[in-house]
Amino acid sequence: MWQIWILPILLMGTCVLLSIPVGLYLAWVMEGRYRAPRWVQRLEHWLNTGEQNWKQYSLALLTFNVVIFLVGFAILALQPWLPLNPDGKKMLAPTTIFNTACSFLTNTNLQHYAGEVHLSYFSQLFFICWKQFVTPAIGLCALVAILRGLRGDPHMGNFYVDLWRGVVYVFLPLAFVVAILLMVTGVPMTLEGNATVPTLEPGAMGTTPEGSPVQQEIARGPVAAIVAIKQLGTNGGGFFGTNSCHPYENPNSWSSFLSCLCIILIPMASLVMFGKMLNNFKHAAVIFGVMFVLSAATVIWAIYHDSLAPNPGLLAHAERSYDIPDPTSAEQERRLTLPAMAGLPVDQSLGNLEGKELRFGTSAGPTWAAFTTNTSNGSVNAMHDSLNPLAGLTPLGGMWLNCIWGGVGVGLINFLIYLVVGVFLAGLMVGRTPEYLGKKVEAREMKLAMLALLIHPLLILGPAGVFAASDWGLRSMNNPSAHGFSEVLYEFSSASANNGSGFEGLADTYGFNANENPGPFAIQWDLATGLVMLIGRFVPIIAPLAIAGSLAAKKPTPFTSGTMRTDTITFGFVLLGTVLLVGALLFLPAAVLGPLAEHFGPLPFGG
Amino acid sequence: MFPHLRANLFLVAATLLISAVVYPFALWGVGQTILPTKANGSLVRDEAGQPIGSRLIAQPFTGDEYFQPRPSAVSYNAAASGASNWSASNYLLRDRVARILGPIVKYRGGARTGQLVAPDLEAWFRNDRYQGQKGIVAQWALAHPTLAQNWVKADQQNEQYVAAWRAQHPVDVAQWLREKPDLPEPTSADLAVLFFTHFSHTSPGTFPALVTARDMAGKEVKQIRPVQSGSEIQSTFFDMWRQEHPEVDLEPVPADMVMASGSGLDPHITLQNALYQLDRVASKWSTLTNRGCTEIHHEIKELLHQHAEAPLAGLAGVDLVNVLEINLALKNRYHPAQSR
Repeated sequence: MWQIWILPILLMGTCVLLSIPVGLYLAWVMEGRYRAPRWVQRLEHWLNTGEQNWKQYSLALLTFNVVIFLVGFAILALQPWLPLNPDGKKMLAPTTIFNTACSFLTNTNLQHYAGEVHLSYFSQLFFICWKQFVTPAIGLCALVAILRGLRGDPHMGNFYVDLWRGVVYVFLPLAFVVAILLMVTGVPMTLEGNATVPTLEPGAMGTTPEGSPVQQEIARGPVAAIVAIKQLGTNGGGFFGTNSCHPYENPNSWSSFLSCLCIILIPMASLVMFGKMLNNFKHAAVIFGVMFVLSAATVIWAIYHDSLAPNPGLLAHAERSYDIPDPTSAEQERRLTLPAMAGLPVDQSLGNLEGKELRFGTSAGPTWAAFTTNTSNGSVNAMHDSLNPLAGLTPLGGMWLNCIWGGVGVGLINFLIYLVVGVFLAGLMVGRTPEYLGKKVEAREMKLAMLALLIHPLLILGPAGVFAASDWGLRSMNNPSAHGFSEVLYEFSSASANNGSGFEGLADTYGFNANENPGPFAIQWDLATGLVMLIGRFVPIIAPLAIAGSLAAKKPTPFTSGTMRTDTITFGFVLLGTVLLVGALLFLPAAVLGPLAEHFGPLPFGG
Repeated sequence: MFPHLRANLFLVAATLLISAVVYPFALWGVGQTILPTKANGSLVRDEAGQPIGSRLIAQPFTGDEYFQPRPSAVSYNAAASGASNWSASNYLLRDRVARILGPIVKYRGGARTGQLVAPDLEAWFRNDRYQGQKGIVAQWALAHPTLAQNWVKADQQNEQYVAAWRAQHPVDVAQWLREKPDLPEPTSADLAVLFFTHFSHTSPGTFPALVTARDMAGKEVKQIRPVQSGSEIQSTFFDMWRQEHPEVDLEPVPADMVMASGSGLDPHITLQNALYQLDRVASKWSTLTNRGCTEIHHEIKELLHQHAEAPLAGLAGVDLVNVLEINLALKNRYHPAQSR
């Protein structure tokens, strides 16, 4: 089965090659080295409100976010009265509008609705597509500003100009090219409403009460435009409810390959931009190496446990016994015996096929699951809820670390936090004042770094605990016991990491405001994840901006033989250790309760 | 202050214009002029030019003369895609698989190679003993209360049948409810386990199933009756039968025949799956066209190999067949009169 590795190797290889020119282009654009036509120059000059320090830059960034939040909220709330609504979509529930507004503001794209069911074409284009262009550009702006601070620029640039550059020169041309390629593979781009077709075998969908055969109604729309920017901007919010599993979002293996490439392209290219802007490619290469190792590990883990392993629920299991501590019994122990189970006669040589499409290739599902959670993309081409128990650790782990490639801009920002922590740990171990890029890392920087680092587990484990212990979570689960807990844990991991994928069985959808049968606790889910997304987005952007501002203001310390080098392989190992150690300490207990318990527990049970 | 306001408003307007108007409408123009079929959803037309589906979207097939697509968690509803989202630990997943397997699984090896398991399963069911105890149906309902409840909810007639039973057995129901203080107003579904326990006791070796009968006027009506054989028994009790016959060698079924896709609309099956269905399809067409089965079998097999395609030109997966396209080809070839 060595062929199974061809797809991920091709993907990784192509992406590494493409990331170099794209990264250099990013640096060229964001540094303003291009020559625009005269009238555009005048426009950009007019837009420029002047150089900003980290506080002014943060304030401008936050202001703009408030403005687009309000505009986005209004667009969604007015859906029934706006044009381009051929299928008559009604108004969403207010909490779902709030959740969706937060979700697309924060580049998360967690979807508590199903695109083809609940949104008009106007909402898809003016809300979804718009936010998918603007929010990754905001992440890119934040990164560029931080890099300017790190290299000691007196100012961090101008937010408005940076945003303009990101949208117009980076995302617009790239998305246009990708969308055209996607259309060639078969992704629709139409404004006509749903197609209604009789089936080839009349009556195969059943018959109406009047006795005529039921026709198949096929949802379609301006899909190609959204899929292209959804992948490039690490957005991940699909046109259809099942995202890139849907044949219209992802018609064949070529569209799947292209989409998967776009998921990691810009996050990877950001590292090249990092090297170029700091003029320190060696340091960038060390970070690149660490991320590459982590990314490859998640891909291999997922493929090994999902494409190369059958779904354990159908297999034969021998009788197993466990001795469980039991203080109430005399022996302090109790023996639990799981009866033997016969296997079902299914040929699972292609791995676990539940929730997978066939046309992308055998290992495409797990590969995508790894990349989409390495970055903060969150689109899926296989249902993560149905991944084998251990394979489910790949997306969870990716979101917990949230720094392997990461979202556009913000991924590298998250990694900088680990860098500061790594430098600090290494500095203390060798007994020196920690330095990063020639600036001393002191108490203020460490406090900010800790704030950005710890907010993530707090936002995941806190609410997941509350929901898992109450009816809010227990009655929203779609699967029994340990996996049900994983669903809750995944939802908050996804919200806090601004990822947006889900163990989608969770009943978190309210639907239209008039829906008489919503998910029982959809309102609680809408509000809780909405808030988690907001905090999980802005704290880890503002705190590093403050760190960069504070480092920029310091005097550079001279480079001596005693300076700890950050561009060596040794430092790469320190970084890798820091990431793994911090991640494991924070999240292993939760992993044991969820995926690991499911793997070792009785499979299946209940029902 | 004013420059900030100006910048914010300008950026909102400009980005909206670029990303929601210029960009999508340029693409729309390109799509509608250069790629009109694909841009409108790759609709497939029959010989008369009428659209009969999309080549990208699965549609159901029930007749034996057609290849059947993968199971769909949303009943092939292309206006609301969806997956089962069932984990490996969820018994509902195993149950769905077992239900599909029951009527089609064959023996492998030994004297009965190639024969269906179903008749033996039905004989075992009529004998009504599981793990040494009487009452297969009662043990089934007790072990899988969700499945029992799902049976009640699956059809209005099922629900009415249980409601009628409830009206006839007020004493049993009242006694049972005394032990369940958390069920103040039980629905028919809540009583599923009790109903099946009772049913198993009064009609051993049978299962309530919808059967078509004729009423006194000779009209066809569908009624619930205790049955001793049929697909409902083969489906529902295959997993229990398997637990008692773990050593029997059975022919494995291709996984994509029993595992649902991510979108519920996967238009493909594996070539292996198609070849597994080939016997059924070929023998039905041979009956419909009055031609030799071997000959038709050979022709369709050739057709399948012509239609088979693997992802990334064969680099990334196994051979697949588009179900709608192959079925359209079959219909055009063997049944031209009907497709017009």
